[in-house]
Amino acid sequence: MSTVRKAVVVGGNRIPFARSNGAYAMSSNLDMLTAALDGLVARYGLQDERIGELAAGAVLKHSRDFNLTREAVLGSSLSPETPAYDVQQACATGLETVLGLSDKIKLGRIESAIAGGVDSASDAPIVVSEGLRHALLELNRAKTLQQKLKAVSKIRPKDVTPVAPGTNEPRTGLSMGEHQALTTVQWNVTREAQDELALASHRNLAEAYERGFFDDLVTPYRGLTRDSNLRADTSLEKLAKLKTVFGRQLGDRATMTAGNSTPLTDGASTVLLASEDWAQSRDLPILADVVDGEAAAVDFVHGKDGLLMAPVFAVARLLGRLGLTFEDIDYFEIHEAFAGTVLSHLAAWEDEEFCRERLGLDGALGKVDRAKLNVNGSSLAAGHPFAATGGRIVASLAKQLHERGEVDGRPARGLISVCAAGGLGVAAVLEAR
Amino acid sequence: MTDKYTAFVSRGWGRDLAKRLGLPQPVALRRYAADERLPGPALVVGSGPSAQALADALEGWGVEVRRDGADDGGASPEAGSDGARRPKLGAIILVLDDVEGPEGLSAPVLAAGRALRSLAACGRVVTVSRRASAADEPSLAAARQGVEGILRSLAKELRSGSTANGILLAEGVGADAPSVLGALRFLLSGRSAFVDGQFLTVGTDGGALPLDPDRPLAGKVAVVTGAARGIGASIARTLGRDGAKVVAVDVPAAGESLARVANEVHGTALQLDITRTDAGERILEHAVGRHGRLDIVVHNAGITRDKLLANMDAAKWDSVIAVNIAAQLRINDALLASDHFGDGAHIVSVSSTSGIAGNRGQTNYAASKAGVVGMVRSTAARLAARGGTVNAVAPGFIETEMTAKIPFATREVARRLNSLQQGGLPVDVAEAIAFLASDAAGGISGNVLRVCGQNLVGQ
Amino acid sequence: MSAPARGIETVELPEMPSLSRLYVGAAREAAKKLVGKGKGRATLPAARHHVTGVLPDLVKMTEYQALLSETKLDIAPAGYLHALSFPAAMSVMGRDDFPLPLLGMVHLRNHVEYRKPVLYRDLLDVTAWAEGLIGHRAGTQVDVVTEVRHAGSDDVVWRGVSTYLAKGVFLPSVDKPRVAEPREEFRAPLPTALWRLGSETGREYAAVSGDFNPIHLSSISARALGMRRSIAHGMYTASRALAEVGAQKGDAFAWDVKFEAPVFLPARVCLNIGDSTDAHGAWVHSAFVGWSPTSGRRHFVGSVERL
Repeated sequence: MSTVRKAVVVGGNRIPFARSNGAYAMSSNLDMLTAALDGLVARYGLQDERIGELAAGAVLKHSRDFNLTREAVLGSSLSPETPAYDVQQACATGLETVLGLSDKIKLGRIESAIAGGVDSASDAPIVVSEGLRHALLELNRAKTLQQKLKAVSKIRPKDVTPVAPGTNEPRTGLSMGEHQALTTVQWNVTREAQDELALASHRNLAEAYERGFFDDLVTPYRGLTRDSNLRADTSLEKLAKLKTVFGRQLGDRATMTAGNSTPLTDGASTVLLASEDWAQSRDLPILADVVDGEAAAVDFVHGKDGLLMAPVFAVARLLGRLGLTFEDIDYFEIHEAFAGTVLSHLAAWEDEEFCRERLGLDGALGKVDRAKLNVNGSSLAAGHPFAATGGRIVASLAKQLHERGEVDGRPARGLISVCAAGGLGVAAVLEAR
Repeated sequence: MTDKYTAFVSRGWGRDLAKRLGLPQPVALRRYAADERLPGPALVVGSGPSAQALADALEGWGVEVRRDGADDGGASPEAGSDGARRPKLGAIILVLDDVEGPEGLSAPVLAAGRALRSLAACGRVVTVSRRASAADEPSLAAARQGVEGILRSLAKELRSGSTANGILLAEGVGADAPSVLGALRFLLSGRSAFVDGQFLTVGTDGGALPLDPDRPLAGKVAVVTGAARGIGASIARTLGRDGAKVVAVDVPAAGESLARVANEVHGTALQLDITRTDAGERILEHAVGRHGRLDIVVHNAGITRDKLLANMDAAKWDSVIAVNIAAQLRINDALLASDHFGDGAHIVSVSSTSGIAGNRGQTNYAASKAGVVGMVRSTAARLAARGGTVNAVAPGFIETEMTAKIPFATREVARRLNSLQQGGLPVDVAEAIAFLASDAAGGISGNVLRVCGQNLVGQ
Repeated sequence: MSAPARGIETVELPEMPSLSRLYVGAAREAAKKLVGKGKGRATLPAARHHVTGVLPDLVKMTEYQALLSETKLDIAPAGYLHALSFPAAMSVMGRDDFPLPLLGMVHLRNHVEYRKPVLYRDLLDVTAWAEGLIGHRAGTQVDVVTEVRHAGSDDVVWRGVSTYLAKGVFLPSVDKPRVAEPREEFRAPLPTALWRLGSETGREYAAVSGDFNPIHLSSISARALGMRRSIAHGMYTASRALAEVGAQKGDAFAWDVKFEAPVFLPARVCLNIGDSTDAHGAWVHSAFVGWSPTSGRRHFVGSVERL
């Protein structure tokens, strides 16, 4: 076994994220992932290159897309001899592909890799009802005419109605927003604080677009040149006028609106990873090192922790392992599933009792400097095509770190955390090059 | 973008009908292909050492050469009853660099004239003469300037896709200078299909002929702005075909098409608004950082915001100036300040016949495109000091998505208003640029080459 | 509790009685009682109904597991054993000498001890009887006890006590109705889950449990029995709550539920499950409660506890 070496971020590419049933309503996951991939190939001149491995995935996936990532390779300008595999870890899919492939590079199994993710809420798979599905499967198994008739006779009119996929947690029946509404109340996060975070996200994203930050991170697609959810002109007043959409049964404790929650979004992202040798031999830029990552999960089913609170644990464990504190972090990229999610995380890290009892620390993990938080906007403004968010964050943070360079004589450092369905959370640390 | 009329009158009863009605009869032009050949032997008219040097060069390229000079008695091999049995001529090279007065034009020009009936379709006439200058004796200057009149008139007499262009030699430049041979080869080739009635001036004997004439840009790194679509995409493809590593540049909003072009030519895409103050630095950083060098910059990006001057507002005026000329000037400044852009560097800028002849509703556009001409002339000296060249091409009516939007009747008139009686293709512009971006054109700088099929307006 | 007490007759049933026949009998009985105003008997039948060689139906059990979101293990869910043994209990209540009308009885409470796992291929003996006839402020309540043993064994592996209320039936010489207990005020906690119950919920549970009580089947059949709409089976809600307590409950547990406001279908029901663990972090107990997010009324409350 070779010694562990570095895995670096060369760059990334994504298509602008589109609110569902908008610009990409007619585009499939495969279309979007291929487009994002081709933009990456064009940016880094990877035509006909045999990449070590590709990993990507989608949260909402058609059964016909069982080999989605490989199909995207075959439709792209990469060498068709590039191997690929699909990953699915809900909203953490994108970040997990980055970490998994980085590990392969670090171990010397591959020299180059492309991580990615895609999701379409517009072109989501519609499935037949359980009743119809069972009847059809039985029909398929039936051998005699009698058996076939029996199978068909089991179909009820209501079975014919198709079923759209829900974002409800299978074990609780609560949507992600309903879950977060409960967590938001538990951590006493106010409506005002959520709206302020949403506003900052829009402003930071708009400002980043204005200064050309995304010129080499985003390739337009289907006529869309910027994320369609971005509202550069939004204000606290406008946000304050929105009605609550989650946690209505909480009465006046409900604080979550369409403005401080992410909308359903379509989009795709990719990240080019490599060994230092590979990048240098091709005169490719090196933006950042992928230092380390950590996954966590919480027991949310009976409410021990909030559904989206796992990153709180992942971050604490990751920083602990690396011997870092919040003081050592220059950029915090905390995925904004909901403003309430980010603020609950911050509250938990500031809560001494929670950090002692649940994180096993001596005291509070610390306070996140809001000036370092999501400095180029995050999901509240950009939107959140589930599996594509990790790639968006990694590429943007790597570029931001590279631009910053050094801080106090050490490489600038960024922390990423992404919450995910099923009580999952993944965190990662990148360092500037 | 297809010119159905040209297809119709090129063959069968459509051709007969057009002939009888006296309608324009454009033919499908001969365009470059890797294995292209002249449609027949080349006749070199002239008897001096230059004619001999050019004949030798042609033979070296595998072209069958006929001579018509004072030495072999002046009898035209094409004249007479046996003319019909002889194969048609592919080209007539009229070498006039040794004329001393207007009277001296008669014999060689008339000899060439006798050969014209034998010129094959899509044939070529190329004159090689010396540039007239104020320092010349009056009769010498008259003779030299006279060649321009001959050539431009002759170009208008040719039919069936044949073109006539001239090479002007500056004082002290021999006919065997690399760029004379380079220009000759370009003008004879299908690469110059839509260049007609034009002169290329070879100012120095700088430059070098390519080792592989089919890959004249091998090893070069070329930046093309506005490469996402239209002529820019065609330039990127042509430079890529000629062997260059292409950096395709366009505004971020055009990124999707840009990526497709970059992937097609195996280059890289750089999404960049060229009006940014640091655009030149970013171009250098990308080209040098990613590809190790920068040899060629093609300023193609351009916009139109047409309005009659009486109705023009500042936004329309300023944006056209900003993109079409101010950005080029700023990028050139950055290039000239860089150690990575000098020896063997070539800038080619896209001007427009509107900038030369003017166009109603395009005062802003014409200002920017005429500005390109001024910029090229001024920059040539500065770049010469560093061993580089800068030239412009001025396209005429080119069949693009943009011209496809012109109303039918206007478009029909516009595309027939030239000696070739058809619109050019984006690739015709690209070919001219690729030539001017090559080391074979290293002795050519400060030129504005029109790619317009000898448009009836302007020079 | 292996041998019946003295003076109690054991009635051997040749097979599990048919629930539908029992319901038809009950309906006939109800009609007779309307005419004769009941028999006025105030004692429970001194009989235990016993069925031997009962085999779980793997197909039905699988359907049950699917409907209740139970993992499809080979072990019979506690609620499935309730459904499996229910006809024996019904046959006790359907006896001519049972003092309360079977139809219209309200399920007040259910307590189950599942002591040892029962596999789908296990042959079982089922015993059922009634006891604990007492007055209630709204009528008369009775406990119906059902015990399940592995065939030929004396060890009870599953024991259920279902408490029913015959509303408006007051029997002579049964304890006077007690003073109504002060109703504890219910304040809804934060939900941990949400159920969306369609109008087909009653029919679906009837299909897997065999309990075709008309009040659960459709709003028409429910209205015939005086309900404004059909209501979800109490045991459906209790079984689903049990399923959602999850795998942590292990193979031996007590499961208790009190039914309150009926769940009129269709309905959204909020659920809260709270777990408690011992000092080592091992699961000990889960409390659950279900309520209506619209009215705020509690539908059921219960617990699951390690045995």
